[in-house]
Amino acid sequence: MSKTEFIKVQNRLSQQLAKPGGMTADIATQRARRELAAQAGDAKKSLGVTIGRMEVMVAEKTASADEIYVESAIVLDIAGMFDMRTLCDASYSLCELTDRLRTKNRQDWGSVGVHVNALRLIWSKDDKDAAQLKSVVDGLWAITDRLDAS
Amino acid sequence: MALDPNIRINLDRSVVLLVDDNPQALEALSAMVRGFGVRKQFKCGSGAEAMHYVKNQELDLIITDAQMPDMDGYDFVRWLRRDAPPELIFTPVIMLTGHAPRSMVEKSRDSGANFILTRPFTPEILLQRIFWVARDERQMVKAENYVGPDRRFKNLGPPLGIKGRRKDDLSTHVGAATDPNMDQNEVDMLMKPARVQI
Repeated sequence: MSKTEFIKVQNRLSQQLAKPGGMTADIATQRARRELAAQAGDAKKSLGVTIGRMEVMVAEKTASADEIYVESAIVLDIAGMFDMRTLCDASYSLCELTDRLRTKNRQDWGSVGVHVNALRLIWSKDDKDAAQLKSVVDGLWAITDRLDAS
Repeated sequence: MALDPNIRINLDRSVVLLVDDNPQALEALSAMVRGFGVRKQFKCGSGAEAMHYVKNQELDLIITDAQMPDMDGYDFVRWLRRDAPPELIFTPVIMLTGHAPRSMVEKSRDSGANFILTRPFTPEILLQRIFWVARDERQMVKAENYVGPDRRFKNLGPPLGIKGRRKDDLSTHVGAATDPNMDQNEVDMLMKPARVQI
């Protein structure tokens, strides 16, 4: 068995962070929010395009679970940067569903279609009405969890 | 545990590498980091491209997506911790994940990243994690099957500068003395049994 080494490391980030100047955490996060807001329009368009690609897949029913997983992960990737929690929850459910489907070597276009329709609905509402949309997301998870039991 | 909004941070001179295969997410990440005051950042869309930056740039922090085609974030960090130039092997890494497929759970655990941050997150959360990574006092472990921060957690209290949830939550970070040393008499008095009236 090879030897395990424990090494004390002083990282430069720590020294830089403590240097005089800079700004308060509050100002830094406000600035980051402003920078992020400038990107929100492009992000929304990208999300719409990605959901559109999944709608085509559902209509054609030829894509593999892997391909849907990749698209759903893109939605999660982008929505996650903008703290769109409902859209993230819904795309997470679709990722989980397709991951379970590919593990079982199955396909279920009905369940995938319901998820994609829900993603479009949530996207069109700009992640607002979170309380109302929660029941939609709960329904998606019920579908995903049903697969594990079957 | 929220980061104290009044704490000062200075990321002016920090060099940050951002890695995400999705251009939109990469731009959003870049915008956040720019807002934090980072002036020098490199952006790339794959683990392979990130390897190039590690070999040719001095970096202070790496923020990488976990799931990417070809070389994913886990493989990139594994390479970084084992085969990168020696001065960069322990560069702090924050890994961003969305959905973690079952097949990736072990890979994620063993990757050697300092922190894993799950989406969705806000700028406050990312800044907090950067602060934690900078103040991370864990030793690095180099073993046959794992290279990265020590995964055994000790209760060290909240990181310095962070308020604990309980009023007696104190960091174990001692810092410099503020009072003069006690003389021997004062030390003896601390230990001397005293007569008390009951």
